[in-house]
Amino acid sequence: MTRIRTKLIIALLVIGGAVTYLVQAGVRTGWVYSMDADAFLEKTEFHSRRVRLTGSVGLENVDSNPAMLFAKFDLVKNGKAVPVDYRGAVPDMFKPGHEVVVEGELDANGVFQADVLLTKCASKYDEASPHSQEMMEQGEDAYGESDQ
Amino acid sequence: MIPTLGTLVLAAAAVVTIVVMIFSLASARFASARALSVARWGIGVFAGLITVASVLLLIALMQSDFRLEYVASYTERALPTGYKFAAFWAGQQGSLLLWGGMIAWMSAIAVASRRANRGVGEAVTVGVLATICGFFAALLLFAANPFEVISGIVPADGRGLNPQLQDLAMIIHPPTLFLGYAACAVPFAAMIGAMAERRTDYRWLTDIRRWVLFAWLTLGLGIMIGAWWAYIELGWGGYWGWDPVENASLLPWLTATALLHSMIMQEHRGVFKRWNVGLLATTFILCIFGTYITRSGIVSSVHGFGESLVGTFFFYFIVTLTVVSVAVFAWRWRSLEPQHRLSSMLEREGVVLIANVLLVLMMLITLVGTMYPVISRTFGDEVTVGASFYNRTVAPIGLLLVGLMATAPALVYGQQAGKRLGRSLIGPGIGGAALTAIAAIFGLHNIWALIVTLFASVTFIAILANFLHLVRMERSHTGAGVLPVAWRLLDANHRRWGGFVVHLGMALLIVGFAGSSLFPEKTTHQVGPGASFEVGRYTLTFNGLKEEQRGNYTAVVASIDATLPGGKVIDVSPERRFYDKRPDEPSAQVAIRSNWREDLYLILAGWEANGKVTAIQAIINPLTMWIWIGTTVLAIGSIICMLPRIGRAAGIAVNGGSRRVEGFTKGMTTPATNGSSMRPGDSEDSSQSPQRPRRPALEPVHAAMLTTADSSKADLRTGPAAAASCPS
Repeated sequence: MTRIRTKLIIALLVIGGAVTYLVQAGVRTGWVYSMDADAFLEKTEFHSRRVRLTGSVGLENVDSNPAMLFAKFDLVKNGKAVPVDYRGAVPDMFKPGHEVVVEGELDANGVFQADVLLTKCASKYDEASPHSQEMMEQGEDAYGESDQ
Repeated sequence: MIPTLGTLVLAAAAVVTIVVMIFSLASARFASARALSVARWGIGVFAGLITVASVLLLIALMQSDFRLEYVASYTERALPTGYKFAAFWAGQQGSLLLWGGMIAWMSAIAVASRRANRGVGEAVTVGVLATICGFFAALLLFAANPFEVISGIVPADGRGLNPQLQDLAMIIHPPTLFLGYAACAVPFAAMIGAMAERRTDYRWLTDIRRWVLFAWLTLGLGIMIGAWWAYIELGWGGYWGWDPVENASLLPWLTATALLHSMIMQEHRGVFKRWNVGLLATTFILCIFGTYITRSGIVSSVHGFGESLVGTFFFYFIVTLTVVSVAVFAWRWRSLEPQHRLSSMLEREGVVLIANVLLVLMMLITLVGTMYPVISRTFGDEVTVGASFYNRTVAPIGLLLVGLMATAPALVYGQQAGKRLGRSLIGPGIGGAALTAIAAIFGLHNIWALIVTLFASVTFIAILANFLHLVRMERSHTGAGVLPVAWRLLDANHRRWGGFVVHLGMALLIVGFAGSSLFPEKTTHQVGPGASFEVGRYTLTFNGLKEEQRGNYTAVVASIDATLPGGKVIDVSPERRFYDKRPDEPSAQVAIRSNWREDLYLILAGWEANGKVTAIQAIINPLTMWIWIGTTVLAIGSIICMLPRIGRAAGIAVNGGSRRVEGFTKGMTTPATNGSSMRPGDSEDSSQSPQRPRRPALEPVHAAMLTTADSSKADLRTGPAAAASCPS
């Protein structure tokens, strides 16, 4: 009886250890801080890390082309702006004034290089549209990593 | 008239649930069979009323009655009839009415199919079901009334259905998922009833076995139909993005999977009683929690659901369910003592225990990941959890589970289990290793892919070897033909073989998951009309863009011809659809060409200057078809598990009667008199108990595989082929 109990405890410890290791590895790659665009400008400690920013697309300086798969715009929040250079499929709902979420990193020139662009949807129970963009980006994310 | 009538019917339904609760309480307290009878009928009346309400909403939808806010928000006159029907569950209120209707019908079927006069447990069960029904009635009445009348002028036309919901998969996905959620309510209620009665044997579990299986199947199908919808409709090339909404539906499925396995352990060995009670409660709470996450807007700010009273309702319902479950658990903790201790880690119980731990860990990691944005927001900067987190945690644990699954046919009970396991796995192990080596020689070098190949092939070979071994054994005794013997073997133990078919489906699924997630090739092509480009083994020719007006939308079609490796040319033209009512929300219609080896998946990403430059995203998704095939196999396996035995072995009593609970068929008993559940029949090993049903002639053979070495000694001799057929 005691022997099997010891074995059981060892087995559970091994599982626990392995899972802890997995979770650590997962946290390193999958957890991203997210904040508003204006808060990001103040928090310099995040300027060299991958983050997720929320704001709206500035009304001026928008240069996007779905066929060429890019969008350059200012991400505006509370009167402050972060210049964003996004490469990838431009969501249908991407328009000046709309609220968006971008994910990426600030480059040396102070331009936010984004590879994820999500649009927010205002409707109350509208499962699909924002969902799709979210998944689209997450999917690309997942593929990018499994390729390595 | 419909708005008023609908609200009235909902109000009546709410009142009925209160009446049912009172009567079932009275029945439990005063041991009144008559009160219980009233309560049981009340559940039926409730189901009838919810049905009337649903029919009223359907009529309003079909007639485009835009006085109703709901009808105006989710339909338009030009919407095809099928989608008007599907609009029933396109919005918050309608989908909650559907949820409530399914709960009502599941409850009614459960109440009707359970034998009458089963005592306090039954009264409590009916009471719990009534409470759940009552919650939905109140929710519909006060927080999400689908019959709410539009304020102001009635519009001439509605806003139309969300383009992305205009798809066959979306018509069947929500009802399937809700059916699974609703089916989870029945075992939950039965569990509370059984605990109230202090029934800690396995028989109350036998009563709900099919319910759990059905709930597990429908939940799984709901999830997979959702994945299919995402794949064909959302146009990002994948089927699962670890979105909070998806995670929410996965959580109860994981615990239900654990439950299905530990229930068998309680039935065979009298162990895992606490696991079972805990998992039953957790599964149902997670069903409600999933709805809460998706409806309250608490988790994903990207979803922008907006806070609503519905969220508050669900929150307090979850709190109530959790408190009740914990209380019941604590109250009966001591009587849920296992009747038997583990004797080897390598016996069935040990492996099932580890599998359960892993499944619960998967659930917990997914749960924490899903809720982490909320948790981190409370303590500072918000952290979002991306797909790669889950891919690195939940996916490897899942793979480990598949490894355990491969050992299933070789697992037995008892101290000798380890040796037996080793012996039975030598053959499949060598076969699997050989296949994996061949795959490696042919260029498969990804370590994860090799592990999947090994586990999946061992699973297949072990199940097949086990079955063929039994067929050979049986033939050597009876001399019958292969097919009749195979059929009788299968029919004699639906649960074992059905379970293995489910395992085969799972193995196929994992192969599909691995292929499509490890080796997709994603490319983007900016092309002009007439241009050709290569994607994998295909040569694609872009013929230009064209615009087509169809029904309630206009499609921009990128006409593309694909030349297959054999030289055959087929049309794969992705589209973008602009719906009349929502021109700002174009929806991508992907073009997919599928075969057993890979999917060619094309998306029309964008264009400029009338298509002079058009961006096409092309993805080669290997082995994706096996995901859908695996799901089908899994569903077939679960149905086999649920089916009763079809044929009868000559002269053999088919089991059944002896499992009925005796001493409780007449009148009512109080928990006190009924409380001492340790009747002889419940003692340690059910296979040795006097109530054990007599085995049909065929059963000894595989009973030897199923039961322990020790119990088989006593039991197996009763069968004609026993001594010779025991493989140990």
